[in-house]
Amino acid sequence: MNPSIVVAGVGNSGVALLDILALGRPDLKDLLAVNNDEESLRASVAHVRIGMPEGDPSDGFLAIDGAFGEALEGAGTLILCGGLGGVTGSFLMPALAAHAKASGRVVLACAGIPFSFEGKERRTRALAALGKLRSLSDAVAVIDNDRFAAGSAVTSSVGEAFRLADGFLVSSVLSLRSMIGTSGPVRISRNDIQAVLGPSGGGTYCSFGSAVGDNRLHEALEKSLAGPLLLKGGKASSLREAERVLLLLEGGNDISFAEVQTVVAEIERIVPAGCQIRTGVAAQGPAGSPLSLSLFVSVTSPVGNDHPEKTGAEASSGNSGRRETLSPEPKASAEESAVSSKPVSLGAKGTRSSQAKPVPKPSTSKATQGTFDLVTNQRGRFDKSEPTIIGGEDLDVPTFLRKGVKLPVPPRR
Amino acid sequence: MASDQIFVGVEIGTTKISVLVAEARSDEQISILGVGETPSRGVRKGEIVDMETATECVREAILDAEDKTNVEIGNVWVAISGAHLASFNNRGTLVLPEERQIEPEDLEAVEINAKEVSLPPQNTFLHTILQAYHVDGNRNVIDPLESEGMQIEADFHIVHGIKTRIHNTLRCIESLKLGIEDVVLSSLASAQVVLNQDQKNYGALMIDIGGGTTDYLVYIDGAVRHSGVLAVGGDHITQDISVGLRLPIARAELLKVQEGSALDPSGGEGGIITLKNDPGFLGCDVDRSALDTIIHLRVREIFEIIRRDIDSSGEGMMDLIRGVMITGGCSRLRGLASIAEDVFEIPVELTRARNVSGATQIFEDPRFSTAIGLTKYARIITRNMRRETVLDRIARRFGGLGGILGRRGR
Repeated sequence: MNPSIVVAGVGNSGVALLDILALGRPDLKDLLAVNNDEESLRASVAHVRIGMPEGDPSDGFLAIDGAFGEALEGAGTLILCGGLGGVTGSFLMPALAAHAKASGRVVLACAGIPFSFEGKERRTRALAALGKLRSLSDAVAVIDNDRFAAGSAVTSSVGEAFRLADGFLVSSVLSLRSMIGTSGPVRISRNDIQAVLGPSGGGTYCSFGSAVGDNRLHEALEKSLAGPLLLKGGKASSLREAERVLLLLEGGNDISFAEVQTVVAEIERIVPAGCQIRTGVAAQGPAGSPLSLSLFVSVTSPVGNDHPEKTGAEASSGNSGRRETLSPEPKASAEESAVSSKPVSLGAKGTRSSQAKPVPKPSTSKATQGTFDLVTNQRGRFDKSEPTIIGGEDLDVPTFLRKGVKLPVPPRR
Repeated sequence: MASDQIFVGVEIGTTKISVLVAEARSDEQISILGVGETPSRGVRKGEIVDMETATECVREAILDAEDKTNVEIGNVWVAISGAHLASFNNRGTLVLPEERQIEPEDLEAVEINAKEVSLPPQNTFLHTILQAYHVDGNRNVIDPLESEGMQIEADFHIVHGIKTRIHNTLRCIESLKLGIEDVVLSSLASAQVVLNQDQKNYGALMIDIGGGTTDYLVYIDGAVRHSGVLAVGGDHITQDISVGLRLPIARAELLKVQEGSALDPSGGEGGIITLKNDPGFLGCDVDRSALDTIIHLRVREIFEIIRRDIDSSGEGMMDLIRGVMITGGCSRLRGLASIAEDVFEIPVELTRARNVSGATQIFEDPRFSTAIGLTKYARIITRNMRRETVLDRIARRFGGLGGILGRRGR
């Protein structure tokens, strides 16, 4: 096994997710299943399966340490996926993240937080594990199942609600994989992902939409904006409180400039002023492929704050402190790459040992003259209208602008 | 309402709301009694986006129409447009168990069969417009009723749209305590007064360029073969002028109406247009060729999109022997016909409602083609349709919005 990106499904939930992934995307050849349930592993379609002895998970992990290292050989990135809350997943996901991180790999994770009705203990354990996982990974996409209860899923059957949650986890995995693995034409860097989904980010929410045909952009946008995880109380979108947004447009090589421009303009209309939007475009499929839009949104209040219970692990891992010590913005070019390639040093308990106390920097600000943003709004009065997109062109933008026709300038009076 | 022979058409457009009251004449034509009109608010690209504001505008237009015509309005025919509307042609087939006389129920079964297609879940049928019947291989039978046969086939042009958006228009009217006779595709309504029977038979394309949308419809062999709605209209031209020449929207609109031309400015003389100052506007000079370039590019693009759509539908321009008829408020733009002829490569005529009588200033204004067309459509339908109760109509509307009326709307 020598892939550059390994997707590892952890625990029963993670192994089931791998099966969904493998069925939907048979081209994926880098799937690794880790579980202590023999039966689940036997049924799995993952290419590499690592069985952990039952019993105390920490003892079990020691037994599979070597096999896991071998499975990762040659891989630059590990994407972990699975549900937190169970004993196995809650222990294994952070442990595997620490293992991969220690060997210098990029670690991304997609973690599901159980529904409240699955029990307070399970949810508390999940939130504690999430705190650990965040501190040990470069980026974590969190699917908080309780957010589905605020949306249309509330009237769905229980089975349907779980399927919806699984679908979101699978989409998260595929989106992160595309972001890391794509060759563009507009790439999302690891720093961009970290800025939104990394330990410095607050709560993160995601949404996905896909469509084909002439109106594909509008339909994909509509689906992703209506995503249940973005809705708060079934109404306002988390986008309205977004600090950072990661946006990936994926599709065929016919994704047009206008489509990218339109989707960014639509998101800009919703997010508050000052929100940073990182955009990636993966246009590698044949023309006419479905257009997929993935949104990862970072807001100030962390996931789980909707619920009163705050876990000891969250508090001890110092989530709030980290926000102050880490720079909220990736630094410029050379400095940026140096930061991203440097392995994170971990303390004995898996928490950051450095940067414990923020050192206030001396003020270096200089008085500068302000500038006005003189960029014309090309959609003008149609800015708040549903875009009219035909043949990949936004017809609300004046034709002469889209065709690049220069207009003669009249003499001044 | 004064009598059964008075029809009221309501068009909730992007720039104006028109309520047209007409009376049926004994010679099968209609006579316009008057029109109520109010500037439109809360409507974008032909669709209601602010229900309360749009409803208030409709109320004003209804009151205006009542004042002008002295008719108490009770039931109306409503035009509908918007980019959510889509269409396709489909054939329904029914094989009878034995050779016998064809009955009305058989024709209804063929229509139901033609509608057994998978629409997007949020969509509903708006019209099922009959194109032609074929009985046992005998093509284009005009009326198969009571003739003998075993296999009945029928071609339909089916128009569908998003249910909630259609219901928004209905709710707007119903909240004013008005009865809705039927909802009609805007272009189908316009075509009833813009095209004559000869043009429908020999083939013609009708284009209605409004403020927010451009609606078009192709008639060949007396039947609707294709229809479409492009959510681009005169407002886009105004917007382009506003952006390109950095003018307020109101000044851009005035400039378009007074000085604008769709002709290619490359061969023109150019020159400067001086805009006088107004309160809140300092005045400026505008290059005429810049203005005409902006308009020309947009108008040409609209026609090119329609041409591509018709070509891809399988209908050829050569089948449109009677050419292109352009109507709607934006058709008054200078040079429009010339650009259309260049794009469609067939004769083009700027037109307005015909074969109607009454106040000439109304039916000679192409802005009212849809509203007038609604009353003509109503006249055709009520003359042809069997008597239905109000409850029948409501039940039918919720089941599929205008099924029977649409089928007969030729």
